[in-house]
Amino acid sequence: MKQKVLYLFMLVALVISACGGGGNQPAIVRAGWAGSPDTLNPGMAILTEAYTVFELVYDSMYDLNLDGSFTLSLAESANVSDDGTVWTFKIRDGLKWHDGEPLTAEDVAWTYNLYKDTPEYPYLNGYYTTYFDTIEATDNNEVVLTLTEAIPNIESQLVFLYILPKHIWEGVDKLEYENTEMIGSGPFKMAEYVQNEFVRLTANKDHFLTPPKVDEVIFQTFENQDALVQAIKTGQVDMITEMPNTAAESLKTDENIELVVGAPLSPGVTDIIFNQTDPENCPPEGGLCTGHPALRDRNLRLALAHATDKQKLIDVILLGLGNPGLTLIPDGLGVWYNDTLADYEYDTAKANRILDDAGYVDADGDGIRDMPDGSRPLTFRLNWPSDSITAPRMSELLAEMWGELGISLEPQAVDPDALTAQCCPAFDFDIMLWGWASDPDPSALLYVYTSEAVPTGSSETGYSNPEYDDLYAKQQVELNFDARKDIVWQMQKIVHDDVVYIIPFYDANVQAYRTDRFTGWVIDQAKVELSDITSLVLIEPVK
Amino acid sequence: MDRTRAILRKAAWSVFTILFVIILNFFLFRVLPGDPARAGIRDPRLNKDAIEALRVRFGLDKPVINCFETLNPVKLGDCAINPMETQFFIYVRNLLQGEMGFSYHTNRPVVDILGERLWNTILLIGVGQILSIIFGVAIGVFAAWKARTSLDYGAVAASLVAWSLPTFWLAILLLFWGSTIGLPVAGKATPGMSSYPLLQQWGDIARHMLLPTLTYTIVYMGEYTLIMRSSLLDVLSEDYILTARAKGLNSFQILRDHALKNAMLPLVTVIAINLGFTVAGVIQIESVFSWPGLGNAIYEAVVRRDFPVLQGAFLLIAVTVILANLFADLTYTYLDPRVRVE
Repeated sequence: MKQKVLYLFMLVALVISACGGGGNQPAIVRAGWAGSPDTLNPGMAILTEAYTVFELVYDSMYDLNLDGSFTLSLAESANVSDDGTVWTFKIRDGLKWHDGEPLTAEDVAWTYNLYKDTPEYPYLNGYYTTYFDTIEATDNNEVVLTLTEAIPNIESQLVFLYILPKHIWEGVDKLEYENTEMIGSGPFKMAEYVQNEFVRLTANKDHFLTPPKVDEVIFQTFENQDALVQAIKTGQVDMITEMPNTAAESLKTDENIELVVGAPLSPGVTDIIFNQTDPENCPPEGGLCTGHPALRDRNLRLALAHATDKQKLIDVILLGLGNPGLTLIPDGLGVWYNDTLADYEYDTAKANRILDDAGYVDADGDGIRDMPDGSRPLTFRLNWPSDSITAPRMSELLAEMWGELGISLEPQAVDPDALTAQCCPAFDFDIMLWGWASDPDPSALLYVYTSEAVPTGSSETGYSNPEYDDLYAKQQVELNFDARKDIVWQMQKIVHDDVVYIIPFYDANVQAYRTDRFTGWVIDQAKVELSDITSLVLIEPVK
Repeated sequence: MDRTRAILRKAAWSVFTILFVIILNFFLFRVLPGDPARAGIRDPRLNKDAIEALRVRFGLDKPVINCFETLNPVKLGDCAINPMETQFFIYVRNLLQGEMGFSYHTNRPVVDILGERLWNTILLIGVGQILSIIFGVAIGVFAAWKARTSLDYGAVAASLVAWSLPTFWLAILLLFWGSTIGLPVAGKATPGMSSYPLLQQWGDIARHMLLPTLTYTIVYMGEYTLIMRSSLLDVLSEDYILTARAKGLNSFQILRDHALKNAMLPLVTVIAINLGFTVAGVIQIESVFSWPGLGNAIYEAVVRRDFPVLQGAFLLIAVTVILANLFADLTYTYLDPRVRVE
């Protein structure tokens, strides 16, 4: 009977699928992703999926290239005053919004002022307009941006400030506006948006820089990553932006599918965090500082670093798809990544020697080393956010690796929100497994190590080093690119020497596309992002 | 007259329960640790001022209720402040005006979000329930009629298996199987179909519904089969069935006029209760097949600590469960006059 029911369903399925289908003239790229934009209001958006759509539908002053460099987009030239505080951008002539209205310097200035004056915009106000003083449009189609101080990274500050049409945004509530019509000026136009289902974009063939060759791009949401993999295998989608690493093997062997792996466009880091806060200088507001005292000792952290087999972590957890990490600045940041640092080699014997020399011996013979004064054993709480896919496996492997040193762990997954409360600035933990998302400029991630970040909740280790703090302040205002790079590299050396974190690996983007549908995907760069404008304006149908 | 009063009393109890849920709903989420303005986002670019501005926008800077600033950790506050300045009374006032606030995560009115999602869920559950009832009852009757034959044992075994299958696992299996025969594995419709003729759009939605509905039907059909079978077996052993047979009625007449109606009673209860719970209970099916329904919205909201959406969804579920129970109570007295409303 059940069999019959199944057959009945199958029959109905086939009949219905036979009546489906339709025209095949326009070139429609179907992309599958596991997320969905949180909102299309650029000010309020937080998720990367939203930013992917903004990149395609809006323009901004600069474009971010896959090698980490920037090129001018809306402006044909940018000039800066001698003191570095006044930037003049000449906006291209003849630009048009998707609704046909002209795009001028007036729109740009209005948008920058909007971001500057709306404190509820978490990123655009909170981070990127920090140095904005005044913004004005001149009669000459120029935008004059005056900064409160000269900064070295104007490109990365402006690249995510998408220019909005003044004639539409003027009349709406800046916070509640859902922006589903989404009039922009970019290479794609918003055609249809159903939240949590799909985003459908049509090509803006008149784009001044990068008119797409395809006609449409559709991003479809798959809540389930297995379904996503199945969808590309069966040709329901042409490209997927993420997958479980376990699926990578099976896609590799499919002759119509090309698997691509590379650094993500926005860097992501996975870190092993040591609570190094001293109860003496615990943050007065909300600080508990219950960390194990041994973690404040560099020798112990160094021993842990020597006892951590990063390659094994990568092979087991990421199935080989990742690079070993050094500091919070990932290799994906290109020139900012200090590749001259030598990592602590995996050597358990050496790690044991370091602990012996530092006086951590097993005083009571229970197999666990104790503090030099015998006050407490080297037993650490190990926590991670319960929504992490990789952390459970990593905690097992770490317990095994560090167990060789006579160190024991008490592993426990914690709800991400509870973990945030435990983390910072409460410092109510010993060791955590977590990670960061960030910016193309290194400044944001470098900030995490500063003393200033300890009470604000951005520092997760409580690390404090005046020398580092000075360098941080210096690189913030160093206008010479090479000089700034030297400082940034020096900072990485300091935190690497101090073993502030152990960075097991840098996250990689694992994506795939069907070779029998579209050709021309950009996959030869350090960074890989098939959903980025860099690929989507270049690809064309396979003949 | 008695009946009317009893019904009114039941309705009053339902209203009281809903009020209780409204209150509980608010405090339930606020005793959870964590901060919705941060929601586990790890990004050094989110600075303190930006988080504070979000908190003000969400109204989270206000005390939870008189005497309590926050509930986790418990922080005492001013007891003499104007209640209208507390999160709780603002929540109640908004609710009375039909407002459920804005989603912290998507920045949209909760009413809009739940409204869109509810219809998708009702569509999925509606079709799924109808199919599982039809098949469940049919197989149940068939099994009872052929009781203690190999057909009966087969049906019972199959139903037990179907009933105890983990929904999630069954859904994944069907997803893999379905994708190999060209069925869509995600969503409610093929994106970009909105300009097609209506008939083609419906066909497209039907194709997308096949796998989730099949999963739903298999999972619930087993339960209905078993209940129908045992209930019908009970009825068939009653004296009045013997009497009917003695009167010379044929098997079909006995089944239709005498047995089925009485055997339906337990099933009605289960169906009504199931209807209430399935609004929430299809989370697994919805998330496997990316069906844009309520279950998915709830899952997302839990992950994001999206209190307004959670409050709204839980309220909606509570109301459905309560109404379904009320409905079951009332239908019962109609179907079986022996049961009196008390």
